[in-house]
Amino acid sequence: MAKRYWKSLAERESAGQRSAAPEFAGTPLQVEAGRDRRGFLRAAGFTFAGAFLTACRQAPVNKAAPYLVQPEGITPGRATYYASTCAACPAGCGLLVKTRDGRPIKLEGNPDHPLSRGGLCAVGQALILGLYDSLRLKQPQARGKPATWDEVDRALAAEFETIRKNGGAVRFLSGTVASPTVRAAIARFLASFREAKHVEYDALSCSAILDAHEQTHGARLLPRYRFDRAEVIVSFDADFLGTWISPVEFTAGYSAGRRPEAGCFSWHAQIEPRMSLTGTKADRRIIVAPGEIGPMLSELAAGMESGAPGGGVTGELAKRLMDARGRSLVISGVQDVSAQAACNRINHLLGNYGATLDVEHPCYQRTGNDREVENLLRDAAAGKLAAVIVWGANPVYDLPGGEALARVPLVVSLGERMDETAAVAHYVCPDRHPLESWGDAEPASGVVGLRQPVIQPLGDTRPALESLAAWSGAPKPAYETLREQWREQVFPRQSAEKDFEAFWERSVQDGFARVEPRGVKVQPRDLSASAPDREASKAGDFDLVLYAKPGMLDGRHAYNPWLQELPDPVSKVTWDNYACLAPATAQRLGVAQGDVVRIDACGKSLELPVVIQPGQHERVVAVALGYGAKCSERFAKVRPLWLGGRSNVGANGLVGVNAAPLAAFDGGLLRYHCAAAVAKTGKKHDLACAQDHHTLSVPKKLAPSSGRTRPIVQEVALEEIGKLPPPSRGPHLELWPPDHPYTGRRWAMTVDLTACTGCSACVIACQVENNVPVAGKDEVRRSREMHWMRIDRYYSGPPEAPEVAHQPMFCQQCEHAPCETVCPVLATVHSEEGLNQQVYNRCVGTRYCANNCPYKARRFNWFEYAREDKLANMVLNPDVTVRSRGVMEKCTFCVQRIQEAKIEAKREGRRLKDGEIQTACQQSCPAQAIVFGDLNDPKSRVSLLMRSKRRYRVLEETNVRPSAGYLKLVRNRPAGKEDEHRG
Amino acid sequence: MADTLPVLAQPLIAGDKSLARVTEDVCRPMERRPGALWWLAFLAAASLLAVGVAASGYQIATGIGTWGLNNTVGWAFDITNFVFWIGIGHAGTLISAILFLLRQRWRTSVNRSAEAMTLFAVICAGIFPVIHMGRPWLAYWIFPYPNFRGPLWINFRSPLAWDAFAISTYFIISLTFWYIGLIPDLATARDRWKPGLRRKLFEIFSLGWDGSYRTWHRYEMVYLLLAGLATPLVVSVHTIVSWDFATSVIPGWHATIFPPYFVAGAIFSGMAMVLTLVIVARKVMNLEDYITVRHIETMSKLVIATSGMVALAYATEFFTAQYSGNHYEQFAFLNRALGPFAWAYWIMTACNVAVPQLLWFRKIRANVAVVFLISILVNVGMWFERFVIIVTSLHRDYLPSNWANYRPTNIEIATLAGSFGLFFTLFLLFCRFLPVIAIGEVKGVLSYGRSHAPGSDRKVAA
Repeated sequence: MAKRYWKSLAERESAGQRSAAPEFAGTPLQVEAGRDRRGFLRAAGFTFAGAFLTACRQAPVNKAAPYLVQPEGITPGRATYYASTCAACPAGCGLLVKTRDGRPIKLEGNPDHPLSRGGLCAVGQALILGLYDSLRLKQPQARGKPATWDEVDRALAAEFETIRKNGGAVRFLSGTVASPTVRAAIARFLASFREAKHVEYDALSCSAILDAHEQTHGARLLPRYRFDRAEVIVSFDADFLGTWISPVEFTAGYSAGRRPEAGCFSWHAQIEPRMSLTGTKADRRIIVAPGEIGPMLSELAAGMESGAPGGGVTGELAKRLMDARGRSLVISGVQDVSAQAACNRINHLLGNYGATLDVEHPCYQRTGNDREVENLLRDAAAGKLAAVIVWGANPVYDLPGGEALARVPLVVSLGERMDETAAVAHYVCPDRHPLESWGDAEPASGVVGLRQPVIQPLGDTRPALESLAAWSGAPKPAYETLREQWREQVFPRQSAEKDFEAFWERSVQDGFARVEPRGVKVQPRDLSASAPDREASKAGDFDLVLYAKPGMLDGRHAYNPWLQELPDPVSKVTWDNYACLAPATAQRLGVAQGDVVRIDACGKSLELPVVIQPGQHERVVAVALGYGAKCSERFAKVRPLWLGGRSNVGANGLVGVNAAPLAAFDGGLLRYHCAAAVAKTGKKHDLACAQDHHTLSVPKKLAPSSGRTRPIVQEVALEEIGKLPPPSRGPHLELWPPDHPYTGRRWAMTVDLTACTGCSACVIACQVENNVPVAGKDEVRRSREMHWMRIDRYYSGPPEAPEVAHQPMFCQQCEHAPCETVCPVLATVHSEEGLNQQVYNRCVGTRYCANNCPYKARRFNWFEYAREDKLANMVLNPDVTVRSRGVMEKCTFCVQRIQEAKIEAKREGRRLKDGEIQTACQQSCPAQAIVFGDLNDPKSRVSLLMRSKRRYRVLEETNVRPSAGYLKLVRNRPAGKEDEHRG
Repeated sequence: MADTLPVLAQPLIAGDKSLARVTEDVCRPMERRPGALWWLAFLAAASLLAVGVAASGYQIATGIGTWGLNNTVGWAFDITNFVFWIGIGHAGTLISAILFLLRQRWRTSVNRSAEAMTLFAVICAGIFPVIHMGRPWLAYWIFPYPNFRGPLWINFRSPLAWDAFAISTYFIISLTFWYIGLIPDLATARDRWKPGLRRKLFEIFSLGWDGSYRTWHRYEMVYLLLAGLATPLVVSVHTIVSWDFATSVIPGWHATIFPPYFVAGAIFSGMAMVLTLVIVARKVMNLEDYITVRHIETMSKLVIATSGMVALAYATEFFTAQYSGNHYEQFAFLNRALGPFAWAYWIMTACNVAVPQLLWFRKIRANVAVVFLISILVNVGMWFERFVIIVTSLHRDYLPSNWANYRPTNIEIATLAGSFGLFFTLFLLFCRFLPVIAIGEVKGVLSYGRSHAPGSDRKVAA
């Protein structure tokens, strides 16, 4: 008999009898649904409870499996940072990638990087969303159908073999190849073909600068511009703070030279036909028609050469420049070789070469050659090419005549998405996203950046290096190719490390390596180039100017909803491109903002809505590139779907209109302006503009007797800084005892309006860090954009030549917050350290707090914003709540970062250091305009700045006591003009 | 003979009614089947209500984004409607409570319907604070109920929290006062009814009223106490509602004139709504002898008095702004009168200040049709007053970068229509099922101004 166990004496005694009650009585499975009332109620109760519980969808149960073997160095909940190099544009800024749980969630600038110095622009910040793009190609395509890599490689090998036999012409068409490794790999690939060429082009071309230096210095190069060393900067239509070559690097240098407290302040003149971002910062802005820039440059050069600068504008510029020999910088964005040559001549006369311009250690951020790409397109159209392989570029979209590529018998695209070029390609071999790849970049001679993957590849893609190696007949992983290149070409250029492995490890850790520059032999040649002819008067009343927006560049990121929703820093319009017209021009034409006009230029025609642009030349109609891209098709439904909602895309099914066909090749250069005719169409288009009123002055007919202009942005002329009174210290008399004693830390932030260029990197950085949703074009139209950080842009002065001020605005974390008193449910309270806290789960959404905020810094979730895309949700910051509809949100001074730092310091048993906590906006700012820290620490940077004479608070007179201080905007021009320039 | 007697000696109830006649006149509409006119009105109101329910349902399910609000204008139609309806309610309480304490006997003809109007207006008003929330299913968090989360209380400094108390108190007291006042009349109806469901309900709700001296005595005592309790509410409730704006920092809202301004405006619009309702009701239900032209004239006098107070408040606001020298304050008022919403401002001024001036003339006061028209315009003007206060102050405040426009969506308009639908549905049901005139109280003033006591030498009417 089997051994019997008993649990109690009673049981033992009743051994042999079945126990009366079943052992597991009371489980739901055994609810007795008897036929009496009690039984019925029991069953009903269970059914109801069961139905209720199963209907609760608050927390779906997912499968969770613990690590079997914990990965080394990973602590769940703690982020790991990896250094890398940004690939959003060819500038190659240094990156620090923040990863959590094996995936990147945020990109930061690398503060140690010699070029970008810790800043990261809006496009760079947004790059991370491209990684989690569910419309990225997940596998190669062969003749329109998905295929495997083997199939594609075999097919291509056969095709290439045929071409080699027939001696067909092969072209490898790419954007600027900043990576020496890739350049070498391309060369190796092309070596096997008899007639092969690597052609580089830039959609935002600087080919004229390169050609001009070939003419004047004997080598086709782009100098490295040192804005930090320049006391006088004269820019002829070069948007160096916004889109020209390397805006982050240039902004860092520019703002380093404009620190009044440090005793240095450069003088910046901008000569341009339209209001660029750089133009908004200029101390002296001269508005000219596009055709006048070349003659102006040659006039300036002639004047300086002869020593008699003459009068007028050129005379003024010449005088300023000559007073700052060797400490000045003249640059131009004009696509005209003789104009650029004149520019070189001026810099040479001023002795700037070797001081503020470095041609011996040039930069490689733009290496495109317009002449070569023009020839390529001509050959393609003529059927002379056998194959074109495209990488890192979208020529069918951004080149005039790019559709000629469709004629080539074999087109291979290495693009990440199905863009216009991939759509005509016979084979698409998708490259990995930069965050999934090994790679390198040499943006400036002597600074070689490394790129490392921070996530396992999300699709079956293959790095371009590997594809090239495979097609060269020597397949090799990208990592190997990269290391080989570094061992052979980079490692020898330095002498600090003797061992390659140590050098490699350190470089990967740092994200870059400083090596000996690749010296270039330059011989200044014929610097007295012929003066450019004044451009023949054109037919047509208008000059069309094509430009790039800082938030969209050439359109390579048109798939990115963050960038589409980013208000353009100058026009504040989102989700569209448009035709900018000067106020007087619009009046003459009889159009208002939103009216659609037809632009006829270069034999093509476009219809676009008008945006009134103060400060633009009256002959100019300016249109942004980068819109009307195929990748923007996806936005048709990315918005709250409700009865009154309208689509993000226009009638063409895309966001905006592609203006690239209106550029033209002229004399081997891509030209961005031509004669145009503009006509009304009578149609209207509702623009989604994030700001409706553009000055600090109220309309004239509503002007009260106490004055028209509001002191929201305060300015001071450089020479008057000494006369500023000390900053206010708050009220001296108080009726009430203090609500908040702030015995410990007290968080505060200052924003230097002089340093801020309006580039909006902070806007996107905040959006990424704090899981701020994308609301869509219709919502922006209804003034419901969600950005916690916004940049207000105010014009002052006459509309034909205004001055511009940018003011970042966010929750000011007021000490006497008007929002805190009025919330009925205590969803917004004040912390002991000075933060105004929004408690999302308590908020019932009465919106009184937003009504009572004088800064209107609060954002309400009007709908449940789209979060169905699970892949895109991987970018969400796990430390920040994702808000549901009906809940109010606002800037928190990145409280999650504050808490993280406090916990870390506590864990390590030490005090917090000043500068240890950086808010997302502060960290990304290329100009370091934002400073955050502890106001109770008298030695902290923020305390010092708060004591500055330039510091004021916005709406101080309302006594809300904001924790944010603004440093007055300094303009390097004579005083007294402020009154004229008050709106 | 009536027009040669001095005013004080004019009978309040015309037609030389006997006591039995009063009961008969007031109860008859309840007893007979409703006519085509009632059905037409009821169907119209019910359809508006249905539209409003559908719109609100859609908005609650989809989000506040279905309204035209935005980051700058966080309140518009929602709070305008709320203040509008709550304001209307105040006239009923004024008539019921304050005029009772002031011994204005003429109130007896209109106090029942006025108090019913108050109740329905408060119901309509109370819906808006709930549906205007982003998460209305959590609306109960506004009340400080005991809990274990701390305990977590509400923010007692917030005017919205005071609103919650004020509106709920107002509703409870109004309901109690109205109901207590109804009891004798429900008993009268009970006694007239043949047995059935209706009679059963009257029996339950008349609480066993037996009409004895002692019962009447207690009733009068309770009535007096409730009147005393309700009187301060006339001033306090709308004062609290005005603090929703006055305690903020927004120019155009931040003004100490708001409490008396709003209370005066509430009585103004409520009186006008009472006029609108009783002018129609008296005609359709043949109650012209009870609600006479004199009643209408007296209420018109209240209208013009409060219109004057409101006009003074408008002038005070402008003076304060000008005198203050505060740019933002001055701009707020200039923007109201001359900015993008000037059309709303001038409708408001025309309807609230200009139109009621006609009531100075006796001929117009006695012309019921014109008074009806004026009462409607007054309510239009008062709705626009709240709209102007809320939207124009918000849409252009301190930072010009925030200036935004506001346009209502169809959902918002449908919700407003729905609130009117609810109000009129309830009022029509009231007219159908309950005595619209306080029978007991009217009987008490029948002898006023008469040379003989009521029913003394008259036969009891069949």
